[in-house]
Amino acid sequence: MSQRAPAFPKTSARRPSAVWKVLTSTDHKSIGLTYMGVAAVFLVLGGLEALVMRLQLAVPGNRLLAGETYDRFLTMHGTTMIFFVLLPLLLGFTNYLLPLQIGARDMAFPRMNAFSLWLLVGGGLLLYLSPLTGAPSQGWFSYAPLSETPFTPQRGVDLWSAALIVGGYGTTLTAVNVLVTGARLRMRGMLYKRLPMFAWMSWINGFIILFALPCLTAVLLMLEVDRLLGAGLFTRGDPVLWQHYFWLFGHPEIYLLILPAWGLISEIIPVFSRKPIFGYEFVAWSTVAIAFLSFAVYAHHMFAVGLGWPVELAFGTTSMLIAIPTGIKVFNWLATMWKGSVRYTLPMLYAAAFIVQFTFGGVSGVTFAVVPIDWQLTDTYYVVAHFHYVLFGGSLFAVLAGLHYLYPKFTGRFLDERLGRWGFWLNVIGFNGVFLVQHLLGLMGMPRRVYTYPDLPGWGALNLFSTVSGFVLGVGLLLLLVNLIRSRTHGRLAGRDPWNGWTLEWLTDSPPQEGNFSQLPPLHSRRPLWDLKHPDDMDHVRPRRHDKNGHIREEERGHQ
Amino acid sequence: MQSDRASRTHLGMLAFLASDAVIFLLMLVSNIYLRRSEAHGGQSLLEPGRMLVFSVLLWGSSGVLLLAERQRGRGDRVGAGTLYLVTALLGAVFALAQGLEWRSLAAQGGTISSSLFFSTFYTTTGLHGLHVLLGLPVLLALALLSWTGQIGRRAPGVAAAVLYWHFVDAVWLVLYLVFYVWRGP
Ligand code: HEM
Ligand SMILES: [Cu+2]
Repeated sequence: MSQRAPAFPKTSARRPSAVWKVLTSTDHKSIGLTYMGVAAVFLVLGGLEALVMRLQLAVPGNRLLAGETYDRFLTMHGTTMIFFVLLPLLLGFTNYLLPLQIGARDMAFPRMNAFSLWLLVGGGLLLYLSPLTGAPSQGWFSYAPLSETPFTPQRGVDLWSAALIVGGYGTTLTAVNVLVTGARLRMRGMLYKRLPMFAWMSWINGFIILFALPCLTAVLLMLEVDRLLGAGLFTRGDPVLWQHYFWLFGHPEIYLLILPAWGLISEIIPVFSRKPIFGYEFVAWSTVAIAFLSFAVYAHHMFAVGLGWPVELAFGTTSMLIAIPTGIKVFNWLATMWKGSVRYTLPMLYAAAFIVQFTFGGVSGVTFAVVPIDWQLTDTYYVVAHFHYVLFGGSLFAVLAGLHYLYPKFTGRFLDERLGRWGFWLNVIGFNGVFLVQHLLGLMGMPRRVYTYPDLPGWGALNLFSTVSGFVLGVGLLLLLVNLIRSRTHGRLAGRDPWNGWTLEWLTDSPPQEGNFSQLPPLHSRRPLWDLKHPDDMDHVRPRRHDKNGHIREEERGHQ
Repeated sequence: MQSDRASRTHLGMLAFLASDAVIFLLMLVSNIYLRRSEAHGGQSLLEPGRMLVFSVLLWGSSGVLLLAERQRGRGDRVGAGTLYLVTALLGAVFALAQGLEWRSLAAQGGTISSSLFFSTFYTTTGLHGLHVLLGLPVLLALALLSWTGQIGRRAPGVAAAVLYWHFVDAVWLVLYLVFYVWRGP
């Protein structure tokens, strides 16, 4: 196993050129890491905004962020987290991993890949310039007519729209890149039915992006025609049209924020359970089903609008349907762990937390598919709890699992285990502390999107608990950040294949050289590295960590 | 290798246009949907006959482009270059005609804020016009490159550019039918 220099040499004389190299690189690995770095910056911003909001909500009658100021933080926080944290994190993983997993040298269009990245960064800059012209306060959903000039006259809304359009085009071009890469650059033998799960889900995700984002672009263009040219599409026309188009984008958006995260989980759980994923075909095809259904359920965000019974029944039903392929995915992960020899290293810990929290968020989601329950709970903190369980407890925890899993590949070194465990437990406790109690608050009727609340029995205490937990979570994430920086130079050396993995990325140096592979093995199965390590017991017969007599295989023993 | 790159670019353009088509689709749907709430949206101000002449020029440009591609396939660089130029000119005439039409409509009171019909009309045709304008420099570049012998029989970008132009023309067919011909729900 060759040891290469860490990814970012710290020689100070060469620093300008190293930065320049990152800025001008068209290498998918460099671009992928830059996406993650950008996301980290925005996570700090969005996180601080969240903490300030939580401070405001800590006690009833607080006036730290009174009135519209709260709405401004709310808007920036929601927009930042959705578009400039989760999305770039997932695009970063896709960029880094997709070519490696399919045995390609790079993405299909490397220069366009760099261009997409800078479009997204440009969008983020526009968003954070918007406060200069009057911070947007209409919420990340930007409901018309609230977002129209008479109600939100500040120019910041227009910059906000521009930010999403510019960033959105970056993402659309990335989707084009991902689709063509997956379709055309797979190595010999890498049939669709042999794609690693992450590659498969990222590829399907390309389709969702391709068809969901133009809905947002269209509706934002229409909003700007209203705001800048006085057209009145959503005022004299129909404000509900905004909701239709917005959620036609918005619901698939939630799935496009979770699919690559599922992909990461589907890589990690098998490797750390020493078993191939249970029901590969089902996990793969249910992803396709979910991609279609994600568009078919969008109007479940609009039950309070009064769409009429037939429509509400139809969308309630499709929403329940989507729980089936999703739920069965969870069972597939559990079945993969079942009777496996599970190693609870950091990536697996995060994956386990993901399963629990994502399932919780999924179940509370199903309750909304029951229309009368939705009427009761919509726009309460129950919703806030639900979507944070999905997006943070699900998607972001999966990303953190992936980060711990792939950090050795990125840098050649492990993240520090002790610091990592501290971070993990603080994150789990903090996260659940913030959002679990919000289910109760919602059931007690506390509305969301309000800057303060009356001093009703229990409300103050639960909110205070939520806020304190928020700071615990903040410390947890801070520890992670410290770990990420420190381990780059101080971490234990990892080598090529520290987890005894099965997919092609573990064949490369850590970090991989330019062009990725000097030589690719013949590919006969879903787990090419298993085949290399066990030449007389190839993958087709579902080999396990244990041999026929139930003993741990000799060659698997060294990899606790 | 060359042809592999060409097919990649082609596929990429196909994917992008699929995404682009969704935007046009939603804008058309909003026109159709919002027309219900207006008795007179001002559609009668449009002159389908006059616009048909220029539309035929635009659709014809796709035919010219097909001829250009044939010449390129035969290795006739000068001929192909000239036909790319003709394609661009037809597109330019169309864009100009559309600009003039907008001006005369506005003069008769059909502005973007005068009715929902015109809001969606300007938004949608404006977006289409933008596509035409973006296509023009690409076609001109093709002409120049072809004349100076810098594109051979197989060049990765050309197929994608050609696909784009056909797409723009096809979209116009739908827009023309919905805005100029169809009388509404
Ligand atoms: C991946 C991480 C996160 C994502 C994707 C996310 C996303 C969102 C979104 C979309 C909204 C709705 C904004 C709106 O209604 O306009 C929101 C609201 C909110 N978030 Fe987060 N968030 C994340 C993390 C956090 C964290 C860590 C905290 C607290 C420590 C937090 C606290 C809040 C609060 C207090 C609100 C306002 C709820 C309301 O008033 O309706 N969020 N978040
Ligand atoms: Cu939804």
